[in-house]
Amino acid sequence: MRRYLFVAVVCLLTSAAQAASTEADYKTALAAAEAAEHDAGALKNQWIPTEQALAAAKKAAAAGDFDTAVAQAKEAEALAKASIAQAKEQQTAWKAGVIR
Amino acid sequence: MRGAIAQGSALFVAAVLAAVLFANARASAQALPGQALAFDRSKGNCLTCHDIKGGDSPGNLGPPLADMKARFPDRKELAAIVFDETKRNPQTVMPPFGRNLILTDGEIEAIVDFLYTR
Amino acid sequence: MRIFRASIVVTIMIAALVVAGARPAAAADSIDPDADFKAFRDYFTKLFPNVPLNDFVNGPYSMDAELRKQWEAIDDFPPYDFAVDRGKEMFATPFKNGKSYGDCFPDKGIGIRQNYPYFDDKTGEVITLELALNRCREANGEEPYSYVTDEMASLTAYMAFTSRGKPFDIKIPNDPRALAAYQNGEEYFYARRGQLNFSCASCHVQNPGNHIRTEVLAPALGIVAAMPIYRSEWNGMGTMSRRLVTCNSQVRGVPLKPQDELYRDVEYYLSYMSNGLPISGPGARP
Repeated sequence: MRRYLFVAVVCLLTSAAQAASTEADYKTALAAAEAAEHDAGALKNQWIPTEQALAAAKKAAAAGDFDTAVAQAKEAEALAKASIAQAKEQQTAWKAGVIR
Repeated sequence: MRGAIAQGSALFVAAVLAAVLFANARASAQALPGQALAFDRSKGNCLTCHDIKGGDSPGNLGPPLADMKARFPDRKELAAIVFDETKRNPQTVMPPFGRNLILTDGEIEAIVDFLYTR
Repeated sequence: MRIFRASIVVTIMIAALVVAGARPAAAADSIDPDADFKAFRDYFTKLFPNVPLNDFVNGPYSMDAELRKQWEAIDDFPPYDFAVDRGKEMFATPFKNGKSYGDCFPDKGIGIRQNYPYFDDKTGEVITLELALNRCREANGEEPYSYVTDEMASLTAYMAFTSRGKPFDIKIPNDPRALAAYQNGEEYFYARRGQLNFSCASCHVQNPGNHIRTEVLAPALGIVAAMPIYRSEWNGMGTMSRRLVTCNSQVRGVPLKPQDELYRDVEYYLSYMSNGLPISGPGARP
């Protein structure tokens, strides 16, 4: 019985540790997202959903919900990177559509 | 003895009936999300370019979406079109809903389910 | 010695070409606005053989007969009239220093809209009408106007009105900076942007006359001729800057700052493509 209790407690603790993001996790994720969005800005190709995800991340963090904050920051980073990929591809791809 | 069997059968029938009703409820609940996603302007927003039965004021930048099961028997092909039509047609005006993170994989699957009913 | 003589010959030949005013001979992938212009015009006139050339400046109304009827019905009391009147009044009102808008422009600013944008070789930049108006204000000690609200719309509505019917006369001087600005504008027009992955061309080259939901798309040929516009959807006037900003956000792209270099470049490109077509502004749109 005691052994089962011990295993149950360990399981609970490890799963809890996996689920909860910390403020440090959030700051790391936000920094990565903001760096990517900055690069997208240099290419003059930022997306509105990226800005919305960044805002949502900050709002969640301010409310102490770091799980949401990290998820939103990671989404923002993914969106920013997609916008960078678009800009880089379009630097040559735009010519294919020109009326000749 | 006979009473117990009768009671058991009645319970069994009731259980089966409940299961069938429950399954139907889940099925119609699943049909709705795909249509809702397709028609939602912030999600698929399909009506902006496509005429789809059940939708109003459609645009005509893309072909009408009808007869979908016959036209796209390969489900993966239809999902790929929604994910990123530029792979098939580099000059398409259809947004790459998957590649550009407009829709999740689950949302694309739900929309494909819905399109197969059109 | 032979190489030296050869290079002198080549130099003289190039100089002769420059003097003759010819643009550098078109090589593969070099900038040729004249060829682009012809191809652009041919594309739209072939696509819409029943639309008179000058009618392209009426945008969606040149594409859709039903829409045109609605437009003609409001023409007795055009919704931009108040903007023209206000613009005329603003033009006539001196700045605090006694000067007025007319002092900043050729011909006192009357009947000149069709020459904008132009390339300023002193500063090496594209000057749009909106930019010129704000520079005029600042040069005379006044605060610049927002590029997306009513004062700028009124001023440009009045100036467009005084140029009604005059053909676009946009010049691209034989200057690599002007050619670069032109090409940047062309690139901006054709490059996909925003989460929705549209370029300006997606709608206005690939789908003129088609409709997104109920909105009929205008052809790119002549598309800037009607600016600024009264848009029923906006319940008010919209400047060129406002239209570009809105187009960006509609495809979920973060808009650039109004009058950003790229916005001026794309206006330059589109205006050059519309050379010869009459100013139809200010316009009314659904």
